[in-house]
Amino acid sequence: MNDLADQQAEGDLIYSSSKSLKMSAQKGSISEYKVSSSQILGIRVIKDHRVGVSFSEALDEESIRFMIKQALDNAENGRENPHESIIDLSGSLVDVAHYPEEPVDISEKTKRSLALESDVKNADKRVVAVPYNSYSENEYVSSYLSSKGRFTNYGDKIYTITSSALMDDQGKKANYYDFHSAHTFKDLDWKKVVHTSLYHSGNLLSERPLATGKYHVRFTEDCLKSLIECFSNFYSAKSAIDKVNPWSEKIGQEVIAKDISIIDHPQFDRAFRKSHFDSEGVEQKPLTLIKDGVLESFFHNSVTANYFHIQTTGHASRSPAGSMSVSGTHMVVQGKNAKNPPDKYLEVIQMDGLYSGANRVTGDFSVAVKGYLWQDGQKVLTFGNCTLSGNLIELLKRAQVVGEMISASTDQSFFCVPLIFLDLSIAGVSN
Amino acid sequence: MQLLPTHVAQDIIDHGLSFGADFVDIFIERTQSEALVFRNSRSEDNQSGTIFGIGIRLINGEQALYGYTNSTEREELLRITSLLGSRIAKTKNSKIINFEKLSYPVIPVIQDQEVDAKYRVAFLKKIDEKLRRDSKVSQVMLNFTRKKQLIEVYNSDGLYATEERPYIRLFHHLVMKDGPLQSEAFFGPGAIGGWDFMEKLNTEDICENLLKQATTMLHASPCPAGKMPVVIDNGFGGVIFHEACGHLLETTSVEKKASVFWDKMGTAIAHSALTAVDDGTVGGAWGSLSIDDEGMPTEKTTLIENGILKRFISDRLGEIKTGHKRTGSARRQSYKFAPASRMRNTYIEKGPYEMEELIGSVPNGLYAKKMGGGSVDPSTGQFNFSVQEAYIIEDGKISRPVKGATLIGTGPEIMTRISMVGKDLQLMAGMCGSVSGSIPTTVGQPPVKVDEILVGGQA
Repeated sequence: MNDLADQQAEGDLIYSSSKSLKMSAQKGSISEYKVSSSQILGIRVIKDHRVGVSFSEALDEESIRFMIKQALDNAENGRENPHESIIDLSGSLVDVAHYPEEPVDISEKTKRSLALESDVKNADKRVVAVPYNSYSENEYVSSYLSSKGRFTNYGDKIYTITSSALMDDQGKKANYYDFHSAHTFKDLDWKKVVHTSLYHSGNLLSERPLATGKYHVRFTEDCLKSLIECFSNFYSAKSAIDKVNPWSEKIGQEVIAKDISIIDHPQFDRAFRKSHFDSEGVEQKPLTLIKDGVLESFFHNSVTANYFHIQTTGHASRSPAGSMSVSGTHMVVQGKNAKNPPDKYLEVIQMDGLYSGANRVTGDFSVAVKGYLWQDGQKVLTFGNCTLSGNLIELLKRAQVVGEMISASTDQSFFCVPLIFLDLSIAGVSN
Repeated sequence: MQLLPTHVAQDIIDHGLSFGADFVDIFIERTQSEALVFRNSRSEDNQSGTIFGIGIRLINGEQALYGYTNSTEREELLRITSLLGSRIAKTKNSKIINFEKLSYPVIPVIQDQEVDAKYRVAFLKKIDEKLRRDSKVSQVMLNFTRKKQLIEVYNSDGLYATEERPYIRLFHHLVMKDGPLQSEAFFGPGAIGGWDFMEKLNTEDICENLLKQATTMLHASPCPAGKMPVVIDNGFGGVIFHEACGHLLETTSVEKKASVFWDKMGTAIAHSALTAVDDGTVGGAWGSLSIDDEGMPTEKTTLIENGILKRFISDRLGEIKTGHKRTGSARRQSYKFAPASRMRNTYIEKGPYEMEELIGSVPNGLYAKKMGGGSVDPSTGQFNFSVQEAYIIEDGKISRPVKGATLIGTGPEIMTRISMVGKDLQLMAGMCGSVSGSIPTTVGQPPVKVDEILVGGQA
């Protein structure tokens, strides 16, 4: 920071460090065992309204000086942006999670990791392999310091387990993955990942393509989260400035079904980890993005807020190696006027190729889907080898609220009332 | 510049062997990266950085133990090695190692020349202006990236190898708007080399093709759905082979039996019209390497010859687990990943047919002129791909453009249904994400005809 002051520049620093452990099993023994300790320092420099970013994973003095020089050079050659400055905040905010010490030694972790494979294999004769299984733990800290005197410190510890079940039944193959994350070892739900992998893989062995046509569709929370996140530019003020947000001119207009509201809730009760400040050190609070179908706000950082002459919403997002952007925290989809679900609908449990088949500017998407056909409250068919095509904007307009209970995605970052999307286009086999 | 002193490497390897490891290697990386984003007709983001770290691997039987750190401190490196070694319960292994620097044939790179930042911005500005000559263009985004990756590999066989890999790429993204209609077009050429690669780009042709694609797709009607024959054009069309077959031939999948081809060596897995290779030695190509990330010189590997499976793509661990010889294909995104068997420049060899013959053989079907991305589950072979630019074929002729097409199926199915292969082979740069991270790879093919595939579109 002193170097920057000498150069009549301002800036901010992000320092992140982490320690991790990961292991996975094959054929009854630990086949992969990985430990790490890493760190990275990133700097954003603003000089004469020009911005430069640089980072370094080598933290010797020479490397750090080189990083600062690169950032200043980048600023000199960068564009002039009168809207980007270091936000005028000082003081400290600290949110480092502390969890009870757990007396779990490496042999216990190894034993449980091996069980992620063996429990799946032993449960069903049709399981030929557990190609993806792992136990991992990651502890990290991220600190922010600005030349205006703002300091924040964020830290957490996350345990994650994954499992899968590759099944073969007379040459027909199916595979399904599941995962679970927790902040403590004791809270990991080992049975759930094993059971879910086996349950869906077993069902998918009997998958059949649907007849091509229009269907009402319900997505699992994980699938709906993926679909909405794929088009996160719709809620981004930065994308609006960059002219890649189809809702850029739609503030105050009805954009989706009027029974639905969408809120970004940093401290939502059921969230995996509450969020209290953003990457500029701005304190966060709930933000209504869509109220009764009407678009009310985008995610803003100080740069986009200055551009639109409003206040930041506290959604600045920046990694040590990246430039300033925006992102949400926990999305909560609320609904009203719930109706009964239709007698017949599809439940999509798996989507493949979403990101490659999506046009983020238009909202068009096409994705391979698998799941169940429900009729009169019964699961009557497992389907696969089908594609779902549509447009996210049109899809959200066709949303019907069919319940009041809010459910969470597996990672507890997306929460939604039960929704069914009417008359979506499925390609399968000819009628 | 030596990234890790030989005596420190020696100490780490000795320490790893002292736990009973069969094999120890060290991968050291220092990468300088630069990125320039040109958007809204101006230079918007200038970024640069240094990636630095050391990965240590101990192999014990079929078990891989891997650790990494940013530190070059001997004590920290020995601590990481101890953490890994403590997982091995065997008698001490030791041997005297004399590191010998590997010499190898160097893959030609496109010559480098230094140009300053202002020149680069001016270069991108010219492309931006060429693309904005159409008033319907609402946004142009040009992402210029460049990195120089310097690697060193030491191992307990006495190998010391080093390579400098210069990467350069320019990704074009065009958005077009006409009233309520919007369309996009992309193109991302890349190479091993320096700025000369940029100067050799035919920017006029690139801009014309992007404008043509975006204009065509702006008014395209929704693609009909159903099973039909599909002609897939050259270049990025090769992504289908990459995803639907290439990943299934990596020993990373084969060793877990998580590939439908794991037991098919020497058998017909594709139509006899098809021969495919994975070649790390193509001069200047984006996926080329002189040595892989285990320090083995790369090679041209014939994977499938006239439909018969000939080789898997293998690394050291893959060879240990499956018996299939290494092919110089151990790759990783950075020191943060243990190496794995990965593709390099993977393509279908050229065949005898003209494009007109392929199109003419289809009474009703789809012409996929430009493919988008895709994904595959190697364990089931199921894949899906988006098509960026597509046309209906009617009575053996290309007719109207359609949008929203995806191709879905399984690797084994599609490989047996590629019945005609064209003459005009073209390679295209891309990024491939898998178990050892995101790496530069080239896909490619001449135009091919698939007899039947499920096309997802409007019902």
